[in-house]
Amino acid sequence: MSMVAAAQSMHRIKEPKNLSGRIVWLRDYYFTGARRAWNNEFTSWTTGTSWDIQFDEMTFYIVPETYPFLQTFRSSMQQTAREVTLHPDFWAWSLPERKAWFVKEVMVNHVPQEILPGDLIAGGRFNIQTSKCWTKKEAEDRDRLIYGKKGARARMKWFHDHGYGNAGATSGHLIPGYERALRIGWRGIREEIAGHYDILGSGDQAGPRGAQLRAMMVAAAMPGELAGKYAAHCEMLASVEKDPVRGDELRQMVVNLRRVPGEPVQTFWEAVQALWLTHMLVMSDENYPGPGVSFGRIDQYLYPYWQHSLAHGMEREFGKEILKCLWIHANTAYDAMIRIGKNGITAGYGQLITLSGRGEGGRDMTNDLTYAILEVIDEMSPILEPKPNVRLHRNSPDELLDRVVEMISTSQGAPFLLNFDERSMAGMMQEATKAHVERLIHEGNVHEYAPVGCLENTMVGNDRSGTVDNNLNLLKAVELALNNGRDLNEFVDPITLKREKIRQDGPATGDATEYHAWDDFWKAYAVQTRDIIRRCAALYEESESIRARFCPTPYLSCLVKGCAAKGLDITQGGAELNFTTLEAVTFATTVDSLLAIKYLVFDRRECTLSDLLTALKANWQGFEVLQAKVRFKAPKYGRDDDEADEMAGKVMDLWCDETWKYRTISTNRRFRPGMLSWNYWVGDGFILPASPDGRPKGRFLSNAICPSNGADINGPTANANSVGKVMGGKAGDGKGDFEGYCNCLPNGASHTITINPSLLRDKEHKAKFKAFLKGYAENGGSCLQINMLDAEMLKDAQRRPEEYQSLLVRITGYNAYFTSIGRELQDEVIARISHDSL
Amino acid sequence: MGVFQQPVKVRGMRISEDIEKRKGTILRIQRMSTEDGPGIRSTVFFKGCPLSCVWCHNPESISEKRQIHWVKSKCIGCLSCVPVCTAGALTATDDGIIINRAGCSLCDVCSQACPTTALAIYGEELGVDDLVRELLKDRMYFEKSGGGVTLSGGEPAMQPAFAKALLSSLKRHGVYTALDTCGQCSWETLEALLPHTDLVLYDLKEADSEKHRQFTGTTNARILENLKSLARFMWECGLPRKLWIRTPLIPDCTATAGNLKRIGEFIREHLGSLTGRWELCTFNNLCIDKYDGLGIDWGFRNCSLMSEAEANSLAAAAAGSGVDPGIIHISGPMSREVRSEA
Repeated sequence: MSMVAAAQSMHRIKEPKNLSGRIVWLRDYYFTGARRAWNNEFTSWTTGTSWDIQFDEMTFYIVPETYPFLQTFRSSMQQTAREVTLHPDFWAWSLPERKAWFVKEVMVNHVPQEILPGDLIAGGRFNIQTSKCWTKKEAEDRDRLIYGKKGARARMKWFHDHGYGNAGATSGHLIPGYERALRIGWRGIREEIAGHYDILGSGDQAGPRGAQLRAMMVAAAMPGELAGKYAAHCEMLASVEKDPVRGDELRQMVVNLRRVPGEPVQTFWEAVQALWLTHMLVMSDENYPGPGVSFGRIDQYLYPYWQHSLAHGMEREFGKEILKCLWIHANTAYDAMIRIGKNGITAGYGQLITLSGRGEGGRDMTNDLTYAILEVIDEMSPILEPKPNVRLHRNSPDELLDRVVEMISTSQGAPFLLNFDERSMAGMMQEATKAHVERLIHEGNVHEYAPVGCLENTMVGNDRSGTVDNNLNLLKAVELALNNGRDLNEFVDPITLKREKIRQDGPATGDATEYHAWDDFWKAYAVQTRDIIRRCAALYEESESIRARFCPTPYLSCLVKGCAAKGLDITQGGAELNFTTLEAVTFATTVDSLLAIKYLVFDRRECTLSDLLTALKANWQGFEVLQAKVRFKAPKYGRDDDEADEMAGKVMDLWCDETWKYRTISTNRRFRPGMLSWNYWVGDGFILPASPDGRPKGRFLSNAICPSNGADINGPTANANSVGKVMGGKAGDGKGDFEGYCNCLPNGASHTITINPSLLRDKEHKAKFKAFLKGYAENGGSCLQINMLDAEMLKDAQRRPEEYQSLLVRITGYNAYFTSIGRELQDEVIARISHDSL
Repeated sequence: MGVFQQPVKVRGMRISEDIEKRKGTILRIQRMSTEDGPGIRSTVFFKGCPLSCVWCHNPESISEKRQIHWVKSKCIGCLSCVPVCTAGALTATDDGIIINRAGCSLCDVCSQACPTTALAIYGEELGVDDLVRELLKDRMYFEKSGGGVTLSGGEPAMQPAFAKALLSSLKRHGVYTALDTCGQCSWETLEALLPHTDLVLYDLKEADSEKHRQFTGTTNARILENLKSLARFMWECGLPRKLWIRTPLIPDCTATAGNLKRIGEFIREHLGSLTGRWELCTFNNLCIDKYDGLGIDWGFRNCSLMSEAEANSLAAAAAGSGVDPGIIHISGPMSREVRSEA
């Protein structure tokens, strides 16, 4: 009797709207891409020594797509590098001082300062590759650690090629102390560093702490000097400008740039100007465009300036116009490798902004600027950067929720991520307890947390948690447990076709075909899990220790609390909060594989473990009946089935507990658990062999904390309940880690659901969806992404990509243009068009 | 209120607590259902229906017996099923598996052997407690949305003791309950369910009794009488609190201006302000696979979806009956607006 509603094809792409002529021009110009006369492509700069290099491959160790190009990048940056005339004392300085001076010299005196027509914000080119400023000996020492059979690169490659995942000390992925930089200005920051320097004894001043602080003082002068250059440029432009309105704008920019970011900010325009210059120079300093260098709670710390300027005559729309210019600037990060390609390499930045969320005592912090920024997002969409994350919580106002749902319903995918405060804050509180940092994270300040990159929760301005640095395939432990600590298949190098013998890589946990009980297998799995985590931490140590020794980022260190006080660069563990995150990949594939083994071999005795091994080695070919049984009959995670979810919980507890046991040796950073899979679940599906959950080699693995593709047959509420449950659920005593919530993943977990547009087709259904979000806040995970897609539209986009250039999809926390993601991934997204309510 | 606390006599059968141990035959639970009443709901589909509407969208719900079905698209052709059937009721042909339904004893051995669920049994026996435990998993979403549980089917009133036990257990847990009924049952049966029901979704398919017989196999006499009794019950007891009327818009059957006008007149005359909503549910063809799986030929196989204009004109006819136009809602799929090719 029940009537059902079928999909109503939206069949249209979101269009930008309500944009001024200025913004239309800037936006359209941006989207002309590689054809642009102006762009922000990398420029490369050298000290002129024969051993000098610019490109630091370690920051790309977590981007497997780039592995074949590492040497090419190194050489091409070397070849195109322009020489910078060095300060006469240059080689007498310490490495951080050399680095600070060099970056400043390049940004202030070599990279041209340019303003695009109509732009209200100065700060154009910032993508640079600078000399690593090494002496010959330093360069040789570092290369010895990177190259060779036992070097960091070979070890990283082995780890990846054998299906473990990847690990590497990566740039960005933190929220610098922007609020403070705006409040006290760079002059204030420099004075504070000088204060720390002055109180050092003469021995320390002559040593590494002194050198670090001197380097930071040099770096702290960079924003002001660069602003001065831009002021001069704007003055020149104003002098030849014929349009009086534009002339006035340029003159105001001169005034702004003469004050900020050196001095404390007074107006909203100054605030956005200071914020952008301060932010873009982080990317210059790290030589990496926008890798999760995130803005934090922008609607909170910009709000006083917003109010001030509105009270002093700024039109609200003009305030939004200033923000829209910031949006354009943030997107130019993508220009770095604009001519190299779209697949993976440039599709995953994340200069995240955080909106709304809880304040002290559970108060909601939504304000007029929150709504203004949401308007900017709506009017500018589709556009990739900055990526917004809206923090929802139990007391989020209906007005905000309505706006959020409305925006989801009118875009082809939610134009933002949704973070859920109570679950997230529970994770941060658990981190405080586990790592004994209650002084820095506690009930009184945990609401100040903000996500980085996509959804990786950290504290703000004093925290580097290496949120994408370790990506471990849990499924590898299943493979090793099945085969007594050995790979299932021979490794064949895809380029050289060289075969590698199967070796005893993991602990010998015994011949699994002789196990009599499920528990025997579980024990073997546990041993292998502990071992792959040990291996991952050891691999990470390679690049972490090299970075700490050779790759200081003194400018970034100025913006992170702890570095000045300790006289330690952020790459050496200077931040007050120092973590590196182990992101578990393939969670659901692993859980479903374990459930399948238990179901097939031990519970139902449908086959022996030896049969299963044969089927896996044959990539399921010839074993289709067994494969179908696993797929259709074995229990699965993600259905709110308590028995299956209990297995998921056991898997979760095991790897989380083990992860907390590790610290980096060189920098004393504690490992913490998280679940983000970026795009590894796609690529590594071609590396890991067939899995017991029925997946053949070459098919995608599960994504982050999401159930396996198609497994969540009980709909979004069941899916969300499973996710919340495995993160810890709620405490029976109402206490838990935070207000009754538990969360074993301080980093948070990426959860994506794809919803058919028909679920949002009218006011009544929007209200139902809003209620779903409220329910998610109680029962679900820490972060939700909503894809609002329709399979037919995507298939049409495959057929006629030229018409869908700006169609955005969201894949594990990052956005990508659908037409640029490659056929396999496209097919995957189409396959995930689920929850049709049919 | 006394009437709710007394054990209710239904045709000599005393419904009491021990009935909760009984099991019902359920097709499935659909979670996050957004089309069966207010808010986010879990809909429990009962198996068995007294009507046999020619257009039925849930053909698997008509028979109260468990039924075997075979879905071609899910079959991998492994033939695990044929040899295990002790009755020899399965035959493999070029077109797939043929089921001799007369010979099948529903022993479930073949569907157990089937690796893909291509062969499966419609209908599962579930106890009230197990069912309630499952339904309460979405309680948070019910609370946030003003939703709850809808008993649908099939016809919940075909399993009255079980339906009552389920509804009352849900009420004890504070869940907002809805009963989706075709009204073809004894008044006593319906009356016994009402005290535990917050919302009744009541089908009025066809105003003309003879046509009703043609379309559904029975006249509408009892349905209309029960609806009048329901209205009296609601006026007297204040419970169930809400009543929604649902009319399927079936091309060449119920989807006529005259039918809607007459149903509207009935609503106006006998139900008045009790009707919170009158849903006009458009025909859909999503159930073709179900008919194929059950080996039933479906007369509406080639019937296309209604256009939005058609649906709107029927809604206008419904409004012409004089009912409050604010209660009329169109739901269900309509033919897509085809985008002009660029």
